[in-house]
Amino acid sequence: MTLAVAAFWAVAAVLLASSLAVILTPNLFHSVLFLALALAATACVFLMLESPLLFGVQLLLYGLGAVVFAVFAIMLTERLVGQRITQASRWIVNGLIVGAGVAAAVLGFLAGRPAPPAAAPPADAVAGVARALTGPFALPFELLAVLLVAALLGAVYFARAEE
Amino acid sequence: MTLPPIAQTAVAAFVLLNVVIGLVTYVTLLERKFAARMQSRIGPYYVGPHGLLQPIADALKLMMKEDVVPSSADRWVYNLAPIAFLVPCVLIFATLPFAPGLGLADLNIGVLFFLAVSSLEIVGLFMGGWGSNNKYAMLSAMRGVNQIISYDLPFVFAALVPVVLAGSLQLSAIVTAQQGLWFAAYPVIGQLGFIAYLVATLAAENRVPFDILEAESELVAGFRVEYSGMKFALIQLGEYAHIIATSYLGALLFLGGWLGPGPAWLGAGWFTLKAMLVFLLLTWVRWSFVRIRVDQILAISWKLMLPATVLLLLVTAFWVAWRSGGGA
Repeated sequence: MTLAVAAFWAVAAVLLASSLAVILTPNLFHSVLFLALALAATACVFLMLESPLLFGVQLLLYGLGAVVFAVFAIMLTERLVGQRITQASRWIVNGLIVGAGVAAAVLGFLAGRPAPPAAAPPADAVAGVARALTGPFALPFELLAVLLVAALLGAVYFARAEE
Repeated sequence: MTLPPIAQTAVAAFVLLNVVIGLVTYVTLLERKFAARMQSRIGPYYVGPHGLLQPIADALKLMMKEDVVPSSADRWVYNLAPIAFLVPCVLIFATLPFAPGLGLADLNIGVLFFLAVSSLEIVGLFMGGWGSNNKYAMLSAMRGVNQIISYDLPFVFAALVPVVLAGSLQLSAIVTAQQGLWFAAYPVIGQLGFIAYLVATLAAENRVPFDILEAESELVAGFRVEYSGMKFALIQLGEYAHIIATSYLGALLFLGGWLGPGPAWLGAGWFTLKAMLVFLLLTWVRWSFVRIRVDQILAISWKLMLPATVLLLLVTAFWVAWRSGGGA
């Protein structure tokens, strides 16, 4: 148990440090790399909560997808090689205030509650998720797909409009 | 005396890591010998009997080489890239069951873990390409990201065909489901899935005919052009570990994993034999075809592979649902 706790704190420290680094490093490319680290650390948190499904999905979708598309965004908007890409952290004080407010709200919400009993993780979460997605949540799931297709078509339209 | 579980896992992981490194080292010799035979050459011959010690000589040579860091490189990114590249490539072995009960972690999402972690190598690749601050490396890294996005989807869909047939994401369960019939022998669906898996693997591993990312004649060596010595060795190691792991996964998904005649302890041997067969298939293609253009690569992915694999997966799903009596 103590080992698990130590591992959690180690991952939490990495997560916090890399998240801060994302907004504090001046170099946009480094910031993307720290974002990848932060997302991977989040995936590790899921793994330690005995939810390997979320771990896999997190890595596949966010760890990879987000980083790849962020890299593309940098490369398509800036010169290809050689130029230093900088980011300016404007409104950092406002961000700090909002962040502190959210953290205080979450802590205040948690402080007044008794700790929930440690629930045993379901034996086969994968099948459960699959049943939920094809059963009761089929309609929202399909609507999400429609929304994504609409976003994709919109992106294609805007990309072509300038030609 | 028995060790606590965590220590047992650590020891097992250490052993597996060394086995993987040894295997990868010798697979390079296998590939060189195989390529040589295909071209009526002999291949490595002088170091040891039949060149058997060549990989060791290569490793020693790489360790003794000078480590050069380009003066304008982004030092941290450049130095960390080989590690970021190697770690996911080795990590994917953790979930492979080599025989019943012989594996580090038989996760119930084994296939998903494999796909998710193995695709992370692109981060290391891009770090290397960008950190080197070299136009060739940068272009190669851009091509790499482009290609891996394009071929990740067909790869995932092809790998999902056996998953649907077996009804489980767990790798050991997929092997058990092939007890009667290997999925590669499954009528029509199995063969198409296997071919799609092989093509997507070639592309995901950046092997000829999809190797525009390291195209020697135009990009010198691609994203690793500035690397030398052990850092170069780490990248090579990662690349080969990745392709070996993908060969193992292919053998597991389509060729029945550890299943084979003989006693159960032969399982790991059968599995390795099948994985090497998949690897040699990939190598065969590599040494027989020419490189194709970038637009052709993208067209094949988006206009052929992606629709075809999605269709195949849908057909498989309908077939499985129909056979199990409709409406599960």
